[in-house]
Amino acid sequence: MSAIPTIAEAARLIADKKLSPVELTQDCLGRIAKNDSSLNAFLMLTEERALADAKAAEARHMAGTARGPLDGIPIAHKDIYNTAGIRTTAHSKLLEDNVPTKDAVTVTKLAAAGTAMLGKLSTHEFAMGGPSFDLPWPPARNPWNPAHFTAGSSSGTGAAIAAGFILGGTGSDTGGSIRGPAALCGIAGIKPTYGLCSRTGVLPLSFTMDHTGPMAWTVEDCALLLQAMAGHDPSDPGSANRPVPDFSADLSKGAKGLRIGVVRHFFETDHPVSPATQKGIDDALDVYKQLGAEVRDVTLSPMAEYHAAGSIILTSEAYAVHEPWLKTRFNDYGELFRDRIALGGFITAAALFQAIRRRRILTLEVTAAMADLDILVSASQPGEAPKIDEVPKWGNLEKPSLTMPFNLTGFPAMSVCTGFGVGGLPVCMQLIAKPFAEPTLFRAGHAYEAATAWRQMRPAMAG
Amino acid sequence: MITEEAFEVLAAQTGLPLSAEQKATLRAVYPTLREMMDLVSRPLPREAEPGHIFVPEVR
Repeated sequence: MSAIPTIAEAARLIADKKLSPVELTQDCLGRIAKNDSSLNAFLMLTEERALADAKAAEARHMAGTARGPLDGIPIAHKDIYNTAGIRTTAHSKLLEDNVPTKDAVTVTKLAAAGTAMLGKLSTHEFAMGGPSFDLPWPPARNPWNPAHFTAGSSSGTGAAIAAGFILGGTGSDTGGSIRGPAALCGIAGIKPTYGLCSRTGVLPLSFTMDHTGPMAWTVEDCALLLQAMAGHDPSDPGSANRPVPDFSADLSKGAKGLRIGVVRHFFETDHPVSPATQKGIDDALDVYKQLGAEVRDVTLSPMAEYHAAGSIILTSEAYAVHEPWLKTRFNDYGELFRDRIALGGFITAAALFQAIRRRRILTLEVTAAMADLDILVSASQPGEAPKIDEVPKWGNLEKPSLTMPFNLTGFPAMSVCTGFGVGGLPVCMQLIAKPFAEPTLFRAGHAYEAATAWRQMRPAMAG
Repeated sequence: MITEEAFEVLAAQTGLPLSAEQKATLRAVYPTLREMMDLVSRPLPREAEPGHIFVPEVR
């Protein structure tokens, strides 16, 4: 076992009374005290709350009333998740003093599972604009090399998990904001099916594209966190009213018999990836073949079509959310978010509706392509993390996003680390499953992680 | 590239308090947005419905 346990490992040790939730939380707080000044992963640390949560969890374990595998596990929330009595800022001057009176539904669910809440995590401003250097707090940095970008927008969650500050955390994903930082920080992160996890109490960016979900060191840990987060929420109009399956049920089934389709043109021609990312995907496909999966290529429409429809819908919806502030407090936003969202004012109503019409056509296309497949494979980032001060303002538009197709279509998708590039930073692949087939997605991701050694490697600072 | 005059009209329609510098930034990237709007606006079958249907039931 590495020095920093996974959630699954910690849960077993706690259940066996070989690890104290209080000591586990203190270990995390110690790493935060030692290293977060160079990473800026936390916007607010709630040390007293974390230790109180951990002590309560420990008491339950000692009394035989433990709530399950998350009882006593240190986590934190992206700072767009409302937390009652605890500042929730979206990393923005506009909400600098915002203190919600109520938890987000998913925050309540994770607390009810017994987690110890360590605080609020950096995000790109309002889950879109970053990395920004003109906000009240600095941007999060990559634990593998703090001179480099984390991706976003769940930047603090990605950095904090990779650095061992927390064992898991929450993210949100509107165009790739869970899968991007999971990829560049070398962890696992899942954007579940649209509607699987409540969005109530999470600051909106784009109503029809926003997804909430977990991030953690391993796929198995994401399954444990999602178990607590998922479920119907009548207060969320997009929430799916269906039973929640056991997300860990298929983890031990391996990859034998899985039917895998590779959307090769997405990452070879539509948005070519780095040689290391390409090699990571090719090697992963070899692993799957060796494990008994069937692998073949599939072709979808050019990724630019998914990207255009997704970007137009996202930017329009975000503009609608922010229009009152854009007209009255325009210069209180950071430059990146402000300029990216301002573009929404230039989108015509006809173009928006054509994008929404195309959304149905593209969703049906992916559904048809997966009729006889269990999993799709693509990339989720084009390469290793760039330097944090070399991220272009319009990088979100210059090339089609590798993650956007699955926000547009709502299919569940996950980033899984496939190794390291020439700069020593992580590279990754993206796995996609059919709607509400998260158990299959976790099965595929876990089979790959179990067959490779990447989960044994932590950033040097995590020691 | 959209002309400065044509972009001024679009910018005025947004109602946003844009400075000259902000307008220049947005004007430079506007062709990319225009390409995306054109891409999604290629002809579709008349019966192609939008993706944001809702279920007409009280929950």
